[in-house]
Amino acid sequence: MLQIRHVTKSFPGVRALDDVSVEFAPGEVHAIVGENGAGKSTLIKIICGVYTPDDGEVLLNGARITLHTYKDALDRKINLVSQEIQIIPKSTVAENIMLDKLDRYLTHGRIDWKRINQDAARYATMVDLAVPVRQIVATLSAAQKQLIMIARALSSDARILVMDEPTSALTRHETENLLALLRRLKAEGVTVLFVSHKLEEVLAVADKVSVLRDGCLIGTRPIAGLTKAQIVQMMIGRDARTLDLGRLKVDAGHVALEARSICQAGRFHDVSFVLQRGEILGFYGLVGSGRTELAQILIGEARKDSGEVLINDKPTHIHSMADSLFKYRMGYVSENRKEKGLILSASIKTNVAITIWNRLRDRLGSIQLAAETTAARKLMHALEIRATGPSQVVGSLSGGNQQKVSIAKWLAAQCDILIIDEPTIGVDIGAKEYIHQLIWNLASREGKSIILISSDMPEIINVARRILVFKDFKIVGEVRNNGEEGAPVRGYEEVSQEIGQYLA
Amino acid sequence: MAQSKVEHSVRQDREAGGIGSALRSVFRRSDTSVVIATVILFVLFSFSNTSFLTPFNLFNVSRTAALYVFVALGQAIVIVTGGMNLSLGAIGGLTVVVAGWCMDTMGWSPWIGVPLAMLTGTLCGMFNGFIIIKSKLNSFIVTLASLFIFTGLVQGISQGFPYSNIPRDFTILGRNDFLGVPYVFLFAVAVLTALAYVFKFRVVGRRILATGGNLEAARLSGIRTDNIVFLSHTLSGVFAATAGLLWVSRMGSAQPSTGTDWLIISFAVAIIGGTALNGGEFSALGILASAIMLTLIKNGLIMLNVNVYFEQTFLGVIVLLAVSVESIRVALSNRTKRTKTDAS
Ligand SMILES: Nc1ncnc2c1ncn2[C@@H]1O[C@H](COP(=O)(O)OP(=O)(O)OP(=O)(O)O)[C@@H](O)[C@H]1O
Ligand SMILES: [Mg+2]
Repeated sequence: MLQIRHVTKSFPGVRALDDVSVEFAPGEVHAIVGENGAGKSTLIKIICGVYTPDDGEVLLNGARITLHTYKDALDRKINLVSQEIQIIPKSTVAENIMLDKLDRYLTHGRIDWKRINQDAARYATMVDLAVPVRQIVATLSAAQKQLIMIARALSSDARILVMDEPTSALTRHETENLLALLRRLKAEGVTVLFVSHKLEEVLAVADKVSVLRDGCLIGTRPIAGLTKAQIVQMMIGRDARTLDLGRLKVDAGHVALEARSICQAGRFHDVSFVLQRGEILGFYGLVGSGRTELAQILIGEARKDSGEVLINDKPTHIHSMADSLFKYRMGYVSENRKEKGLILSASIKTNVAITIWNRLRDRLGSIQLAAETTAARKLMHALEIRATGPSQVVGSLSGGNQQKVSIAKWLAAQCDILIIDEPTIGVDIGAKEYIHQLIWNLASREGKSIILISSDMPEIINVARRILVFKDFKIVGEVRNNGEEGAPVRGYEEVSQEIGQYLA
Repeated sequence: MAQSKVEHSVRQDREAGGIGSALRSVFRRSDTSVVIATVILFVLFSFSNTSFLTPFNLFNVSRTAALYVFVALGQAIVIVTGGMNLSLGAIGGLTVVVAGWCMDTMGWSPWIGVPLAMLTGTLCGMFNGFIIIKSKLNSFIVTLASLFIFTGLVQGISQGFPYSNIPRDFTILGRNDFLGVPYVFLFAVAVLTALAYVFKFRVVGRRILATGGNLEAARLSGIRTDNIVFLSHTLSGVFAATAGLLWVSRMGSAQPSTGTDWLIISFAVAIIGGTALNGGEFSALGILASAIMLTLIKNGLIMLNVNVYFEQTFLGVIVLLAVSVESIRVALSNRTKRTKTDAS
């Protein structure tokens, strides 16, 4: 039994937790939900010894415990899958999985690599990670890295397993697998703490849910009998809107971007597609199906061996993101905000304005600091980024708010073509709606052409109006859900089934 | 909603504001401690030693500090992009030797010798930068190798002998002054001011800092990070060459041994001056203060009759101290920030 009693924790300018008391019983999956910046990760970090509370206490089996580091938590069999991906890029999958227990594999002073790889492979299979354990981690996708972190936590026989948005980058298949795993752990008497913005998962797996809002605990309820709407009501203090974006008017005559017979050795073979102007084109597929990899080729981050990319019917020469942005006005919101999207040590201002410094210059070429602040303020307001101000360092924002900053930066850039890779990873339900609406408006009002890459089926069906289904680096199907002129868009069930057929 | 709560506390922060918050923001700056330390040291020296405040001594201190500024800039400009330049001193040495060879051996005027020497230093920096971006090796390995390459050239060309026949005209910059302030010092302050402006207001400066902050993210934001890394190493070469030439101008002779102690000096001044070791942060004021501080310390060691042969040991210890003080400062300022917000 793990008890949190009257815990309070403040950071400069914010009270992240305010007199919070919760209990977590063995054999219980306990979900913690709340908006971005509500204090979920802070609570979790206190349980795992990453932060010490300013006030209040943590009790384990009735005895008060004081944790100073994560190691202290590990010693008490409390294990964490953190929200931010923490892996060692240049090591192998196996090393990353066994990271915190390599010392157990010492025989006569030597590390038994064979046994490590074997054991690691077992946990990799458990989480459904289909990558050789000897592979170097650096080039894996965000989802695969997330699976590695889950496997690492599993391999420690935790009694209390703490997971901060473990499924944010996973597709449905991997998620279901993980939920099944959690049920098994629960049967073995493990306490599972589960933070998620995906309420379907919470309803599917949790026994209890605790809701945080503005650092305060709104309440803890048994899941039985609770509906999604009720949870949302507790989270945001009002009812959720249902977002029906309707039909998208696409400028059918104009092609914004066309990829012709893209080939890349060992990956793509003769891949072609067309993006209309003012269209939202979805890339759907399982993790590792080649969606992000194709985007990398489009923006010049990866080389293609042959094939052509045309923008506005003209052949392009894109060798870097700089070419893409400044010559062709094409932007890319990365799926990996921490490593590729943001400069965590810099301010919100810097991160938002980085693509538009050129435009913020006065006649003598100096950047106008006031204009920079204004630009950042405007987007912070538009995206409801919760921060103490434009000068706050991005690394100290909550995960969801960091994600908003990484989107804000590309909104500032005002590109004609925008490739958006998993825009709502770790974003709360209200903000998610907001981002969907925003993407929609970019296309429908401003005529921007958008490629939306997402592993979230509802997201892709709700927002995209034509979906390319990816499998093993091939486009295996195209689903049009925009409907005919004058007719309504196609229903969710019908579209998701059609996508399912292509993936089968 | 949390929004209002955040705004609320921000408002409180501002209202509590005035001197308190101004002080706090000053203490959060990475260069505050070094400025304070330098001032304290200066006052201490003024009181403890009568010969310290003499114009002659101040002239010397400011001149040496100015040279250190250039040496440190050579290092800082690559550190801010997340790299380092181990060959800095060797580039300086090579510049000195080329300058000496031109003006002494060949008897050319400084108008030819100086540009050629500057060009040499610049090319050395470009060489480092080029290899780093093309080979994708890190700057440690590349500049370690070029350190040997350039050092070999220094020794090969000079055979270890100094060039002492330097035109008198050329020593004006290194030896003369304006109202008692050495030209070199004015020059250093001008360059620092320009850099402070560039890092705050110019796109290129911002891009250099962004590259140091997170190279991948910078590249994916449309910054040509290869160009930035190349540029920073080129500038490193330029600063090394400048420092080398000023050294010649000051000494009135070109010593091939110039630059052998720059490695520790450049890191010491840059780090103590608040250049973040993992890139992305730069402080002109900090570098100026730490250059002065280091000069004062060296000056002090001499006055205390400490054996000069142990000097490097002291410098090493000072660097260690500076880095530890820095991490303590960060920890402390986090803590005070926290308790302050609690109180409000
Ligand atoms: N190290 C820190 N320094 C300063 N402020 C912080 C720090 N960590 C968190 N905060 C602030 O505390 C608040 C709560 O953050 P927390 O990370 O717990 O939110 P969260 O509920 O996990 O949100 P998300 O769903 O976005 O991950 C936020 O306003 C955040 O900006
Ligand atoms: Mg969080």
